[in-house]
Amino acid sequence: MIKVSINGEIKEIKQGLNISQMIDALNYTQQGFAVAVNTTFVSIKSYEQTIINDGDTIDILAPVQGG
Amino acid sequence: MNNDTWEIGGKTLKSRLLIGSALYPSPANMEEAIKESEAQIVTVALRRQSAGEGGGNNFWNIIKALNIHVLPNTAGCHSAKEAITTAQMAREVFDTNWIKLEVIGDQYNLQPDPFETVKAAEILIKDGFEVFPYTTDDLVVAKRLADVGCKIIMPWGSMIGSGKGLMNPDNLTAIRKQFPDLKLIVDAGIGKPSHATQAMELGYDGVLLNSAIALAQDPVKMANAFKYAVEAGRLGHESGVMQERAFASPSTPTIGTPFWHQFS
Repeated sequence: MIKVSINGEIKEIKQGLNISQMIDALNYTQQGFAVAVNTTFVSIKSYEQTIINDGDTIDILAPVQGG
Repeated sequence: MNNDTWEIGGKTLKSRLLIGSALYPSPANMEEAIKESEAQIVTVALRRQSAGEGGGNNFWNIIKALNIHVLPNTAGCHSAKEAITTAQMAREVFDTNWIKLEVIGDQYNLQPDPFETVKAAEILIKDGFEVFPYTTDDLVVAKRLADVGCKIIMPWGSMIGSGKGLMNPDNLTAIRKQFPDLKLIVDAGIGKPSHATQAMELGYDGVLLNSAIALAQDPVKMANAFKYAVEAGRLGHESGVMQERAFASPSTPTIGTPFWHQFS
C-alpha cells in the first residue's frame, strides 16, 4: 500500500495503480471530472499510462456553481 | 425588443448578459433565473469532489439541460500555474476552449493579479484557449492582455460581490476608446440593473454578473430586470446619447407662452 493525498485527504491505496484503476477503487460516481497529479493536469487519454506513486497529490475536480 | 446579434469567442449571440450560476437560494431557483435572464452564456467552476458525494451531478445536469454556452472559470487560483492547470481540466470536463481567467492577487478585495493573469493568458492562448480575462480597469493591463492575443477583456466594475457598480467609469471609457475592436465585458461589482445599463451605455459589449441576481430577494424577477437593463443600455449606446449642456434649455416651445409670462 502507498499513501497519497486525494482531494486533500490522506488515503492508502494499492501500489502500482494507474489513474483509471484508482478512480474505480475510489468508487468515484461523478459523471464529469478531471484529474491533476502533483498540480499537473492529466488528460483522460493518459489515465492508463499514469501510475500513482507514494506521496502523490491528486486532485479530482468536478463541475460546481461559479460566478 | 432589440434584434441585434453579436459575436464573441466564435459564437453569434443575441443576449449581452453573461450570468453566473452560484449563490442562488436553490438549484431550481438558479435554473429559473438563468432562463428568465435569457442569457446565453453561464459561468461555472470546478472544485474538489470526493467519491460518493455526487452532488455536482445534479448541478451539471441542470446546466447542460439549459443548452446555453458554458464559460468555466479559474476562480480561487492565485498563480498562473494554478490557473493553467484549472483551465486544462475545465476544457476536458466542459468540452470547451473558453476560459474565464481569474488569478487573484489579493484575498481582501479579490483584485486580480495583473502579472500572473497576463502570463497565464499568453500560455493559454498558445494552447488554443479563448481567454476571457478578468482584470481591473487599468488601461495598461488591458494593453498587455491585448498584446498577448486576448480578443476579449473583462475589466471589473468594482470588487467581486460588492454590488458597488462602476467605481471608475472614466477608466472603463478609456479602455473602450483604446480598444474599439476587442470584445469588452464589465465583470464583477454590478449590484443594480442601472449599473448594467451604465456599462452598456459606455459602449461595452456585455456585462457579466452573478451576485446581483442570485442575492436579490427575488432572483428570478431580478434576472428579468437585468435582461431589460442590458438591452436598454445597448440601445441607448447605439442611439447616440445627447451632449450634456451646462445650462438649462426648455423642451416645451417658448413661442406662444400664455399670459402669465408677462407678469413675471
